[in-house]
Amino acid sequence: MIKPYLAVIADSFHSALSSRILWIAMVAIWIFLAALAPIGYHEDYTTTFRWFDLDNGTQMKAMLARGLVDPKESETALGRLARTFPDDIKRKLRQVARGEDVRIDKGALADSLNESLDNEDWYDAEAWRTTVRLRELRELDEIPDDEISDPERRRRARLRIEAALPGVFTTMSARSITLSYAGFDFPAFFLIGKEQFVSLINQFVVPIMMDWLLGFALIFLGILVTASIIPDMLQPGSLHLLLSKPISRTMLLLSKFIGGCAFVFLCVSQLVIGLWLISGFRLDIWNARVLWCIPVAVFLFAVFFSVSLLAGLRWRSPILSIGVTCMFGAFVLVIGLIGGYFDALVRSPDRISQMSFDGQGIVIATRGGELKRFDNEANQWADVIEGDFRRRDLIVPPVRIAPGKIATARIRGGRFNLYGSGSLDLLVLDRSEDWKPNPGLRLPNGTRRLLVVGNRLLAFNNTGLMATTIEQVLDESGFDDDEPEHSSADRTPESGSESETESETESETESDAQDVSPNIEVSNIGVTAWITDLIRMQGGATEAFHVILPKGVTLTDPVRLDVLPDGRSLVVYARGRLMRMELPGGGDGDDAKGATAMLAADLLLDDNDAARTTMAAAGQSVLLARDDEPVRWYQADTLALLDEFPSPKDQTVVAAEGLGVTDRFALLTTDGSVTIATRSGDRVEWVTLPQSEVTAIQYDEQSGRLAIAHHIDSIDFVAFGPDANASAKIERAVRPSLTSWRSVDRYVITPLRTLTPQTGELSQTVAALVSGKTSFVMGDVANEEQEVVQLKIVRPVVSCSLFLAVMLTLSCVYFARRDF
Amino acid sequence: MPDPIVDVHQLRKTYRSLSLTGRRRIDAVRSVSLQAFPGEVFGLLGPNGAGKTTLIKMLLGVVKPSGGHARLLGQPIGSSAARSRVGYLPESLRVDRHHSARSALRYYGRMSGMTSAEIHSRSDELLKLVGLEGRDRESVRRFSKGMYQRLGLAQALLHDPDLLVLDEPTDGLDPVGRNEVRKVIDRLRDSGKTIFLNSHILQEVEMVCTRVAILAKGEIKAIGPIDELAHRDQQKLIVEVLGDAEPDWQAIFGDSMTADIESTRVRDAFRLSLAVVDQGQINAIVDQLRRSDQSIARLEVRRESLEETFMRLVGTDAVEDVAGEAIAGEEVLS
Repeated sequence: MIKPYLAVIADSFHSALSSRILWIAMVAIWIFLAALAPIGYHEDYTTTFRWFDLDNGTQMKAMLARGLVDPKESETALGRLARTFPDDIKRKLRQVARGEDVRIDKGALADSLNESLDNEDWYDAEAWRTTVRLRELRELDEIPDDEISDPERRRRARLRIEAALPGVFTTMSARSITLSYAGFDFPAFFLIGKEQFVSLINQFVVPIMMDWLLGFALIFLGILVTASIIPDMLQPGSLHLLLSKPISRTMLLLSKFIGGCAFVFLCVSQLVIGLWLISGFRLDIWNARVLWCIPVAVFLFAVFFSVSLLAGLRWRSPILSIGVTCMFGAFVLVIGLIGGYFDALVRSPDRISQMSFDGQGIVIATRGGELKRFDNEANQWADVIEGDFRRRDLIVPPVRIAPGKIATARIRGGRFNLYGSGSLDLLVLDRSEDWKPNPGLRLPNGTRRLLVVGNRLLAFNNTGLMATTIEQVLDESGFDDDEPEHSSADRTPESGSESETESETESETESDAQDVSPNIEVSNIGVTAWITDLIRMQGGATEAFHVILPKGVTLTDPVRLDVLPDGRSLVVYARGRLMRMELPGGGDGDDAKGATAMLAADLLLDDNDAARTTMAAAGQSVLLARDDEPVRWYQADTLALLDEFPSPKDQTVVAAEGLGVTDRFALLTTDGSVTIATRSGDRVEWVTLPQSEVTAIQYDEQSGRLAIAHHIDSIDFVAFGPDANASAKIERAVRPSLTSWRSVDRYVITPLRTLTPQTGELSQTVAALVSGKTSFVMGDVANEEQEVVQLKIVRPVVSCSLFLAVMLTLSCVYFARRDF
Repeated sequence: MPDPIVDVHQLRKTYRSLSLTGRRRIDAVRSVSLQAFPGEVFGLLGPNGAGKTTLIKMLLGVVKPSGGHARLLGQPIGSSAARSRVGYLPESLRVDRHHSARSALRYYGRMSGMTSAEIHSRSDELLKLVGLEGRDRESVRRFSKGMYQRLGLAQALLHDPDLLVLDEPTDGLDPVGRNEVRKVIDRLRDSGKTIFLNSHILQEVEMVCTRVAILAKGEIKAIGPIDELAHRDQQKLIVEVLGDAEPDWQAIFGDSMTADIESTRVRDAFRLSLAVVDQGQINAIVDQLRRSDQSIARLEVRRESLEETFMRLVGTDAVEDVAGEAIAGEEVLS
């Protein structure tokens, strides 16, 4: 029964193979593959400094200037390194030390550092002993000089330089990839390891190839070649003979359709198999999933060919078929572009990234760099701080510091100024004034996270952790000291009445800091003011904020922080090191100001590479999730590993939130869902909450509920009973009315996108099929706010399949019912 | 009487078209009834646009009838069972240019449900039959019109059908090609195949068909054996009588026949033309001429040809039907 139709399909292949255009296309493909074949790569240690590796120029200038002029630094690693710079840079550094505004080219700094890689006269083992050396450096230090290879030696030199200048350099892979062509290296190299290189190929290069090479060039060529198939078939001398055979018209048309895809199949197969072989033999990437490109490209072609088919049946003209198909392609492209713009300019900026609560008051930060409050009367989000799309400001996640008071900050141009050069003021929002921001204390430069621990406000930046008291924050922002209560009272009642004024402890503070902070010391008596200024430039302590990191602790990215419910313990993860710190005096003792935290537990993890990491603390537990590793559950006091288990649904965890005093965690995964993890006995139980498209989670300590931001700007609250097994109670809290542009998006653009086959999105399907992942996380690993890219896999396939089914049905009905 | 192979009853086809000037209705086939029996070579005659091809398309299921019914080989027209036993040679056969004669036969054979072995053995036989032996692996691009037709004939015969429908099989062929096709048809007829032949070349039909139907304006004007269709009782006797002066025909034949006589001068003779019914009447006329000492130079008895029968039956319809065909070729809705 199927034989005649197989004959039609086989005949189409026969026909395609006799087409000159096919052979021209094949020759073009072979030339392309031959041109690509000499490509290769090699993986090296990351050694050479480039200007953009210097993440924080201001801090680097300040550190080097201090190393150069501060007598105490003369024999430290910093001092020794600072002296290796050329004279003109040293002259400028001395000007920096005198407080002059001097610009030093980052490229010149990087070049000087590169010269130091080959001549390690500056190195002194004793001086470097006090620096924080990563595991990789410690291991390289152990290799005897006569056994170390040249690349290892240069890598070691680089790590020594990084250790002398902590917090200055971008976190990057220890390995870098250099592409070569016919044995010649490309001048640029990728600062990524093999694994990331493979991800880059799978998630970006293959989809781009799919878009342009397969999705555009070959499809267009395919339409040109196949447009005549149906008009040719409809020629009387051909059609009448076919229709006189004992076959079904519908099946005949479908066979012709499938056969029409033969051209694209033959071309795409050669191209993709060729690329697969080249990537295997030359790049050592044997990813058979790349072959998925073949069926997807043929499917994509089928969508366009179905339009050509119907047009060919109706008008029996190849030219008209091509014209109609091109118009359809243009329509799909325009709809895709408009949809993309609405995603980028309307939906994405409104997406909630952070939340803070005060009773019924809700303040959120959005991806668009806006700070908003929820206006219950209007049932809409109202701007507290307006965003500027072009400037891309960053909002430091808002935190509730006292009843009716929420603290945050805005880093201007934050996306391009992640470590915040320039001054940064703390903004205190007051509920009684509709959350109007009041500028207050000067924050340490580059502050990117605020935390409330007891009655302290902690600021975290790339140099470390600094603290001030809530009282001082409120004072500086113009709020009375006589606030009825402060946050510590809410959180830890036992420590509520022990606060002291800061003046009494000031002298002690400075002397303590000198002892405990290895790199950024607060000057002691006799130290001149310019040293203090330099420290501030580095992002170190300010008048209000003092360093609280214990001695010997340096926070190397990625850094994650969370507060245990006891109100005085802080859990810190810093590149392969997990620590629990206790703040002195229960947060309100006499030494509240100036005292440093105590390192209560310290754990070095197996791998200290700069993996994307999420961490949360709750009850007596700490949960740590690192990229491509099992999720680990630690005992908070001792940091003893209690359990480890695969991440929920094999997704990457992008955010974790401890649920207060209970040993439970909420995990937001890349698929946009939230899973509650509860440890009972020796095993961990998962419960996935019904919300989808979740963008942020936040535990509200006051109400004991988990807030879940989803579908751009809606929020649900989930209350948990004391019993771990009790079901969660979900409350629909915020369903804001649509703004005008959002209405256009929902009622015009979305229906249009639904009705139009999303052929452009098929490249995302390819990315998912090739990489084996349905979503991935973008953004700097150091940055806690990571953008999750959900690959649209099902939607484009469903929309294209539906469209294809409709077009084929119409064509079949037309062909079956019509007299020819 | 055996069961008819082609059995058509009151078959109709009406095309309707929509245009800016309004709706148009064209009755391409109007209540046609005919039958073709096993072993017959049945000819369908008619001017261009008479509805012949529409009728064939309905028989093959390419076009759906607007009314009436028909059966092929005992099966309803359009059914897969009927089509599987029919071999069809379309008018102006078009074979895709990537084929050779052999690959085309393989393709069409598979569409008829044949196995590779069957196709292979039948192809050799048929290529020899139609005279394409030795050129079977040549691309059809290099084929002449006659070779195309022969290939078409081979594909129509490939699956050994019980009924052959040939639509203008000699169209565009030179006399040699026509002769070859005729010979093939003769052989097929001799082998007992039923052939339904559609042609407007009357001589061809006259030579090969046992029965014909004449179609004009979508209607059957006449149907039957060729001999029966012609007016054989209306023969004409033509006699040429030598002489310088026209004879007195009234004196020779009497008053009763003189009125029907047509007389014309031909070189040194007079040509006499008159209708006769039978041989006795011819003998009587010859006797009368000889009795009056007339010298007979030439004598001929002329019967009505198929062409004359066709023209007599179709008349001016042929001209009108061409216009009708042009309309039917437009975009139409049935």
